[in-house]
Amino acid sequence: MRVAWKLFAVLTLFYAVLDAVYFFVGGEELGVIAIGLSALLALLIGYYLWFIDRRSGGVLPEDNDLGEISDSAGELGFYSPHSWWPLPLGLSICTAGLGLIIGWWLTIIGVGALLISVIGFSLEYEKPSISTH
Amino acid sequence: MSSANSSIDTLPRKVNRPNIVAVGTIVWLSSELMFFAALFSMYFTTRSVQGPKVWAESTGLLNIPFAAVNTTVLVLSSVTCQFGVFAAERFQASRTGKLWQFKKWGMREWFALTFLMGAFFIGGQVYEYAKLVSEGISLSAQAYGSVFYITTGFHGMHVTGGLIAFLVVLIRVFKAQKFGHKQATTAIVVSYYWHFVDIVWIALFSAIYLIK
Repeated sequence: MRVAWKLFAVLTLFYAVLDAVYFFVGGEELGVIAIGLSALLALLIGYYLWFIDRRSGGVLPEDNDLGEISDSAGELGFYSPHSWWPLPLGLSICTAGLGLIIGWWLTIIGVGALLISVIGFSLEYEKPSISTH
Repeated sequence: MSSANSSIDTLPRKVNRPNIVAVGTIVWLSSELMFFAALFSMYFTTRSVQGPKVWAESTGLLNIPFAAVNTTVLVLSSVTCQFGVFAAERFQASRTGKLWQFKKWGMREWFALTFLMGAFFIGGQVYEYAKLVSEGISLSAQAYGSVFYITTGFHGMHVTGGLIAFLVVLIRVFKAQKFGHKQATTAIVVSYYWHFVDIVWIALFSAIYLIK
């Protein structure tokens, strides 16, 4: 994480300087705002990575110069369980999008189906029979 | 699942890895920031092309005290959301005392209150839209109407999405066998999203209602 947040800190600085230069050479509003918010984009990710790096309270194996591959063994994180819900999720988004061409009534049906799919997809995590993590 | 988890929990944990769901959410939110960057750019470009006279006429119709109250409710909903996160971080799903003892509230009560405040904001926005349309500002009538409704409307859609996310969290927690790390993570990433939408609104409010 240490390398990662420094990378984003450099990016933030780069965009901020670029934004200031663009403003002083007389750039129009669109560019000034877009480049300025690009700096915020890098700042947001960089700050968060710095924050969790500090909070994790230790050196991650990838930041350790003397680290071994085996140091990073173990649990990586939590992953989503097997699910068929992405299929109805995609179909309902497709329906809602097609509705913009065909008619609003189809979009409303699509959004309704989308809500059901989202709830179904997220409740997949609470199924009691899942044995993997 | 609980047996698998407990066997992992007893292993010596050398590495305190960052939560990948939370990191992924932040990366996604930064892309959302660029989506709103496009909307802000559109607003200010249109403003400079149209000239100050058109803008002064249209912004004069805005009800700033009403919008300020609405904004306050949205900002306070971020506070209640954060209290929900504190409850989630100590794995407390629901309240331990009476309903009026808010110090003993769990994540469920705080998130339900946040949901109501967010719904109040959306309700206020719908009322504001109806008022402005009746005064002649509409999406297709003039450039100001277009940028006003597109910027605030997309933000409103994000708030609505956040409300649905709160509902999904509440349903999930209701269905969950126990309140653990997984449920807390969901609550935390939804709060990230909510804070983000809140900050975007503060920027939008400053741009549209204060700077004009």
